[in-house]
Amino acid sequence: MIKIKNLKASIEDKDILKGIDLNIPKGEIHVIMGRNGSGKSTLANVIAGNEAYEVDGGSIEMNGDDITEMSIENRALQGLFLCFQYPVAIPGVSMAYFLRAALNAKNKHDGKEEMDAVEFLTSAKKILSELGLDDSFLKRSINDGFSGGEKKKSEILQLLMLNPQLAVLDETDSGLDVDALRTVAKGVNEFKNDNNSVLIITHYQRLLDYIKPDVVHIMIDGKIVKSGDMKLVNEVEKNGYAWLAK
Amino acid sequence: MLKKIQQNSHDKFEELGYPSKKLENWKFSSSKHLKKYNSTNLDQNNFSIEKYSDKYTLCFINGELSIESLNHFIYKDSITILDIGELEDYSICSTSSNFEKEAFFHLGLSTIKTGKYFEFNKGAKFEQPVKIINIYNKSDKDLRISSFNIFKLNEGNDISIIEKDINEGAGSFNLNLNKFICPDNTILNHSMLYDDKTESNYLGYNYYDLGKSVLLNIDSMNINSTFNKSFIEVDLNKEGSEAKINILNLARGDQHLDNNILMNHNAEHCISFQNVRNILDDQATCVFNGKVIVSHGAQKTDSNQSNKNLLLSNSATAHSNPQLEIYADDVKCGHGSTTGALDKESIFYLRARGINEQDANNILIKAFAKEILEEFFDEDIKSLSEDNLNHWIDG
Repeated sequence: MIKIKNLKASIEDKDILKGIDLNIPKGEIHVIMGRNGSGKSTLANVIAGNEAYEVDGGSIEMNGDDITEMSIENRALQGLFLCFQYPVAIPGVSMAYFLRAALNAKNKHDGKEEMDAVEFLTSAKKILSELGLDDSFLKRSINDGFSGGEKKKSEILQLLMLNPQLAVLDETDSGLDVDALRTVAKGVNEFKNDNNSVLIITHYQRLLDYIKPDVVHIMIDGKIVKSGDMKLVNEVEKNGYAWLAK
Repeated sequence: MLKKIQQNSHDKFEELGYPSKKLENWKFSSSKHLKKYNSTNLDQNNFSIEKYSDKYTLCFINGELSIESLNHFIYKDSITILDIGELEDYSICSTSSNFEKEAFFHLGLSTIKTGKYFEFNKGAKFEQPVKIINIYNKSDKDLRISSFNIFKLNEGNDISIIEKDINEGAGSFNLNLNKFICPDNTILNHSMLYDDKTESNYLGYNYYDLGKSVLLNIDSMNINSTFNKSFIEVDLNKEGSEAKINILNLARGDQHLDNNILMNHNAEHCISFQNVRNILDDQATCVFNGKVIVSHGAQKTDSNQSNKNLLLSNSATAHSNPQLEIYADDVKCGHGSTTGALDKESIFYLRARGINEQDANNILIKAFAKEILEEFFDEDIKSLSEDNLNHWIDG
């Protein structure tokens, strides 16, 4: 699904990613864990094409295509989805308008017809119900006045509506209470199938109580220093990251 | 009486001269280019109002009320209409002491050929807004067209006025002076729409005199004006009144927009809101001079003033000067001003969902404008303004 080779990136001349190698095959869930400031969110943003970051070397391939220089929107249209750690509030743009614009852009790219209003509403209301959100959620402005939980559920709503090939979850578990965490995890598990992939970026084990990863990576100072299975998570929970930095 | 007004104003203009940039209200707006315009004689030159006029519309052609439109006007029996020259009480023409300091206000008054006084009959209720269309169709260049009208409501009136300017001529300098008298327990909704296709210059002076428990809404949308400078002054003279002003300006090229608002809280328990947004592209410039004065004794005043400017180009410039002058001690007054480009994080968020950059920009511009348009009181004006906004964005 996605192959990252020796990826280096910086922001305002500060090197953050110092040579990332990562291969996530179709149908797998991978997790990246690491301390604050290790470069996890930078990796998520660079994968999504955030122009605030400078790619200084290496490459990102998705389904065999080099997307390293591809525009943000074309990456999304190719099937990449970033679940934002801090989704931005956009007053004056309703969730419904935004979701339809995104879906129509995707349908146009895929050579399909625009989704009609009835089909859109039926589909959206079903997902809203599963996420424990009221239908009126669609009338609200994007993330404007949303609680922390609502913001993350909004991201999952978009994930399920757009149904991408690769979902990158950037600390989607942060700031959630147990109930909201379960709901979000349920959404991710519902999304996951054999034809797509998930990259979870997190500090903590707690999301992994609900979503079972295939591979766990530890990131320190802009590099992946160790990969393994769930046992690695348990070791980090027990001993912290210091032993891996040596 | 008209001659007396003209002579007085002529003398005052001679005394004041054209405004220089040393004056606070003209610091960022040059008046030099307005000097070349000469006053024109009234002339409706057999203009057909058919395509603009319906039974709810009063047309002013080059500053003069069209008799044809008046004859078709459905509410003519509910309004007393007089020439200003026929008024016996000179004081009814007086406006604000601030306008008295404005040279162009006097230049306008000194050269009006006529002016109308509209008094809405007591208890008159209109199901539809009164539409006023100012049509300018002079083919001669460098003409200055002035008008002065007074609108007086009576107790119990609930009146909506929609004012629109249409230019079909060579481009003129249009000086519009209006006074609105809103006695106790009246409602006035005043919408102003400017969409200029010529290179006309506008200078507007609107004064609102409010009594007790008056509700005033002023909505304005301005696009494609080469030069548009507007003065709005509201006197909240008695308790329990509320004045809301929502203005959206869109400018590109070398266009220049300038809003001057003065809200005088002269009585207690009054509320006022000023909400002015400018969207500027290319080298366009805008000015916001907004002031709230809370007088001694105007306790329990609730006032808010907001100016937000969205710059779509590095060459666009916004000048913002929100001011509060408070002489009472039990009031709630706030003001704020922001100027900036489209938010990069918001653009990234939209693009990360597959929306292309241009569409993402347009969504954000519309959202910025929509927050003002949603406050417009008239649904038709709201819808028309949204259409105008979309056309403007499409270029």
